[in-house]
Amino acid sequence: MHQVFNVSLTHFLLVSIVLVSAGVATILTKRNAIGILIGVELILNAAGVNFVAFNHYAWPAAYPVGEANDGVLFTLFIIVLAAAEAALALAIFLNFYNNFNTVDVDKASELRG
Amino acid sequence: MNVPHVITALLVAATLMPLVSSLLIVFFGTRVMKAASGWFATGVMAGGFGCSVYALVLWLGHRPDTICNVLPWIPLPGNDPGWLYLGAMIDGLTVAMMVMVTGISTLVHLYSIGYMAGDKRFERFFAYLSLFTFSMLGIVISNSIMQLFVFWELVGLTSYLLIGFWFEKRGPQLACKKAFVMNRVGDMGFLIGFGILFYKLGGVVLLPAVEGGIFDSVRDLLAAEGYSITNPPMWLTAAGISLFFGAIGKSAQFPLHTWLPDAMEGPTPVSSIVHSATMVAAGVYLTGRIYPILTPGAHLFIATIGLVTLVLAACMALVMTDIKKVLAYSTLSQLGYMILGLGTGSYVFALYHLITHAFFKCCLFQCAGSVIHSAHHQQDMRYYGGLKSKMPITALCYFVCTLAISGASIPYTATGISGFYSKDGIIAGAANYSVAMSAGGWLGGLFMWGPLLVAYLTVFYMARSFALTFLGQPRDKHLHDHAHEVPWTMWLPQVCLAAMAVLTAPMIMGFWQGLIVETNETMIARGVYWVQSVADIHHGEHMIHGPLLHGFGWIVALSAGLLMYRGGMGISSKVVAIPGVNLLYTWAHNKFYFDALYDVFTVGLGKTVAYIVSAIDRYLVDGAVNLAGWVAKLCAALIGVIDSRVVDGAVNGAASAAASGGRLLSTTQAGRVRLYVLMLLTSATVVTLIVVTVTLVSAG
Repeated sequence: MHQVFNVSLTHFLLVSIVLVSAGVATILTKRNAIGILIGVELILNAAGVNFVAFNHYAWPAAYPVGEANDGVLFTLFIIVLAAAEAALALAIFLNFYNNFNTVDVDKASELRG
Repeated sequence: MNVPHVITALLVAATLMPLVSSLLIVFFGTRVMKAASGWFATGVMAGGFGCSVYALVLWLGHRPDTICNVLPWIPLPGNDPGWLYLGAMIDGLTVAMMVMVTGISTLVHLYSIGYMAGDKRFERFFAYLSLFTFSMLGIVISNSIMQLFVFWELVGLTSYLLIGFWFEKRGPQLACKKAFVMNRVGDMGFLIGFGILFYKLGGVVLLPAVEGGIFDSVRDLLAAEGYSITNPPMWLTAAGISLFFGAIGKSAQFPLHTWLPDAMEGPTPVSSIVHSATMVAAGVYLTGRIYPILTPGAHLFIATIGLVTLVLAACMALVMTDIKKVLAYSTLSQLGYMILGLGTGSYVFALYHLITHAFFKCCLFQCAGSVIHSAHHQQDMRYYGGLKSKMPITALCYFVCTLAISGASIPYTATGISGFYSKDGIIAGAANYSVAMSAGGWLGGLFMWGPLLVAYLTVFYMARSFALTFLGQPRDKHLHDHAHEVPWTMWLPQVCLAAMAVLTAPMIMGFWQGLIVETNETMIARGVYWVQSVADIHHGEHMIHGPLLHGFGWIVALSAGLLMYRGGMGISSKVVAIPGVNLLYTWAHNKFYFDALYDVFTVGLGKTVAYIVSAIDRYLVDGAVNLAGWVAKLCAALIGVIDSRVVDGAVNGAASAAASGGRLLSTTQAGRVRLYVLMLLTSATVVTLIVVTVTLVSAG
């Protein structure tokens, strides 16, 4: 049987909640800097999903192309920012690795008061 | 050509040349000139000698009057302000002295090149030596007592530097201090005398016996006060004697004579110049310059000092075994002759003896230096003997000068070596004085008999030193083997000086005596009291030649000395064992206990005073200072408490508050990323919940 499953805003939000929870859980549990970076990426993507979903359900008529697509644009920005942030973070980790021979963030405690 | 100007220029140049060479060696000696400084200084000195000789030739050719050039130097305060003058005064005596000093200094410089070779302060020695010569030339050419005093003190300073040249050794350290202090004692007298004259004459005191000079000023003042120079007021005698005290110090007369034998600690070239041309000559020269204002009382004082010195020094020279000590005491004795000569009015012969003595004594010291140099620095004559064959030139020079100091002459004629004329003149002048004084009783006779007998003593002790050093058998084999003739830079000056000791005799180089006679005649012409003319003295000479067999006396004394000491000290040790002689010997050998006396009375007194003063210092002054210090410390402690408790408390409180706050906050900055994230999320959640609650509450 073929049942049409109507996708609503709630489903999108569920997906993004799953994503953000996974990201927070990753950040809180991982000591590896790369893992933390992945967690951050998940949180950013959750935000991106939210933006796109809200844009779509706020102005359905404008879909796919119209004047009111601010959310989509924000998502593009988020993707670009995420890429830049990943590059920056990796550069920092590389230096960190060069100095401490590890990427364990708990070892980065030189500035502790 | 203005002859006086040329002469002045030449002599001033001759005076300044050693100063320039000294300064150049001081600045460039150790870096640029190095070993050449010796030759440089000698060359400059020879240039000065050349200038002096040229000036002498001009002077003898033109016979100008006394030259007196002055420059205003320091203005004096008062209603009628006069000046202290800086300038040159040139008469016959000055010219003679200039030639003598520059000549001897040149030879001593040359001698020092050999003697000081290898010394680590070679350059400095020549700087000092040139400065020393400059100071003496300055004294000779000075035209006022003030200017003379400046150079006088320079001579004192440079002699201090030269005597203490080997200052690493204890002996020279003590000797240079002693020379300096003894001279200061004399200089105190000089200053007092200068002060009296300065006060009485109102400032300007020009030395020469010229119009407006010292003699005219004093005579006019005496006439105004109703006195004359033969009936003088007390102050004039006091001024003369006080000024003479300066000469006592510099010329090492009794009772300040003890520094001169100790000055033997300096290098031998220094001894040879100090004992002839410069230092000790300065005192005699000063007495010669203040001569016109000396009163009969001052003359008696001077003559007595000279007599005592010449007798005591000859006795001490008789018993010394150190060759330089013998020569040092013989210098004292000869200086005593000069001072006696000045005191007894034989002005010409006293200063002539200064010139002749300078040549032969310089030579004797250089010979002694050569012997010491080639004998492992052994100075005791008991270890010499038989050096004649090893050092023929030195032995010959020493013998010629021994004859010169003895006053050797052909018996019963007036023909002899230079020392004969000068010393004989002094003895004859003293005889005249003695006759004049005989109204005062038998003591007057001492002035004739003393110098005459000491003249024989002089011959004897000089013969003794010659015999012990050069004749007989070697008494120290090792030393004798090592001995050798000295290099030409050392024997050439000796030969020149020995030649001069013969040539300064009036019949060969008449100008030496002639120049001083000129000054003497100037003084007689101006009516200076108690100047015996040369003719008068020759009269006195005839009086004593006949009866006293002066002719053969010196030969007897010389032979006795040579025979007695030819084989060493053997005979003399038997002689001094005789009771009585023994006592005299002990006295003389201990220098008549003058050093001990000074140690007890002056050094001891000084030490006692110093001890008392130091006690006052320690307990009274230090006590007051310590009390003040203690009060200050107390105040400081109080202020310190306020500072540390109140001010520091506030500051420290603020700081510790900030620190503990910071420490508390810093526990949150533990560097755990996950903790940060948790805190971030928690706080974000809390804020969100608050915002949502507030929104819902306000909406509904």
